[in-house]
Amino acid sequence: MNMKAFLKSPVLHGVLVANFSILAIIGLHKYLLGNSSKESILIFSEFVVLPILMGVIAAWFWRDLGLSGKRTVKYACFNSLFAILMSAIFLGEGMICLLIVSPLIFAFSITGTFMGQRMFKKKNQGLNVSIISMLFVVFVVDAVSEHDYQNMVGDEMLIRARPEQVWKHVVAFEKIKQKNDYWLFQIGMPSPMQTTVDGYCKGAGRKCIFSNGYIFDEKIVTYEQNKDLTFDIVAQPLDPEIMGHIDILRGQFLLKDNLDGTTTLIGNSWYKLHVFPVWYYDLWAESITRNVHLRVMDHIKMLSETN
Amino acid sequence: MFDFVVRYFGWLKHLPLAAQVFDVMLKMRQMLAQPEMLDWIDELESEFLSWDGASTSIHRYGGLQFNTAGKELGHLHSNGLLDMCFSKKMKSELLVSGRVKDHHIFKKTGWISFYIRGVEDKAYALELLRMAYLRRML
Repeated sequence: MNMKAFLKSPVLHGVLVANFSILAIIGLHKYLLGNSSKESILIFSEFVVLPILMGVIAAWFWRDLGLSGKRTVKYACFNSLFAILMSAIFLGEGMICLLIVSPLIFAFSITGTFMGQRMFKKKNQGLNVSIISMLFVVFVVDAVSEHDYQNMVGDEMLIRARPEQVWKHVVAFEKIKQKNDYWLFQIGMPSPMQTTVDGYCKGAGRKCIFSNGYIFDEKIVTYEQNKDLTFDIVAQPLDPEIMGHIDILRGQFLLKDNLDGTTTLIGNSWYKLHVFPVWYYDLWAESITRNVHLRVMDHIKMLSETN
Repeated sequence: MFDFVVRYFGWLKHLPLAAQVFDVMLKMRQMLAQPEMLDWIDELESEFLSWDGASTSIHRYGGLQFNTAGKELGHLHSNGLLDMCFSKKMKSELLVSGRVKDHHIFKKTGWISFYIRGVEDKAYALELLRMAYLRRML
């Protein structure tokens, strides 16, 4: 197919109209929300209902092409990739965010394409209007609903050192030099590097510095020497990657003396998600938080046991 | 993989669209591992639709559903697993041939399962469809 024919083809029209329709809906949704607190929230419908709708719209343009299953999958993949590119350009999403969101976009947009293909084969306008209306209703109900989800992730580690030896590395620690094992850190997600502290008491400021230079400002709210360090996150960087979609609220290290020269170190983090559906994004949030914990706790273990 | 998901996550089929999304994932997998499977599915559908009164639809648990007179004859998942409904007598005759198996979930019914793995299996799948179709039409 030459360029002129490609530009006129229903395949390209389907991709362009589907993508720009979805962008228009997202734009309208953001505009209607204005400056409300909901503005920064990305709802379930944006990752499930809109990709399905995108697939259905594309299928309408492709309905007379007699596409085989293989070709439908290829075109639907192209449509999804285009949507991911649009998200990078118009929504300013970072590479890791796009990587995380892409399984949802692919799965639901290809499902939408096959659904649309079936819908338009039947030529039952009543049914088609009902399906599109149902998707619209789900989107509106989801858009006006409250979205608030907080979770806590906890991890434990046994350290062969007494609590007082562990404690001095819990409050603040030098740069972590170990290689990152977690694949998201390896491909560029910021990982914790160092922690500094203003003072060793309740109310003192603490800074958690990440590998890309980002700093989380923290305030110690519980300081029980050799037992409990709890801190609230008072300022965190707003990054187009993960950080814009999750707020870390509070962190905690608990030390349990096992009375045999060893200590159980417990790391807890509380966070709030700004992206939905929870059943998908919380898997990622838990995994990322857990790996942040483990990187710091492994470092504390190494320092405590070496000393 | 399919059996694992059906066994441990089968309950998800009751969630709207979950089965359809799973079937799309099977399609994607086939596209990478055995793309000709998608052609065989198209060919089976096309041949089936040429029969009088035959129609296809999306199966509620994912895949392509074959119907006559508005009733389901069977369905084909996108990994090539064909599930067909026969009488118990026909099922026991088919089981003797050794090519089909008990349905992967409904063991004590007339349902059978048959995996399309090669082009010769596609021909047998069409034969099964024809048997089910004729049984329903006669």
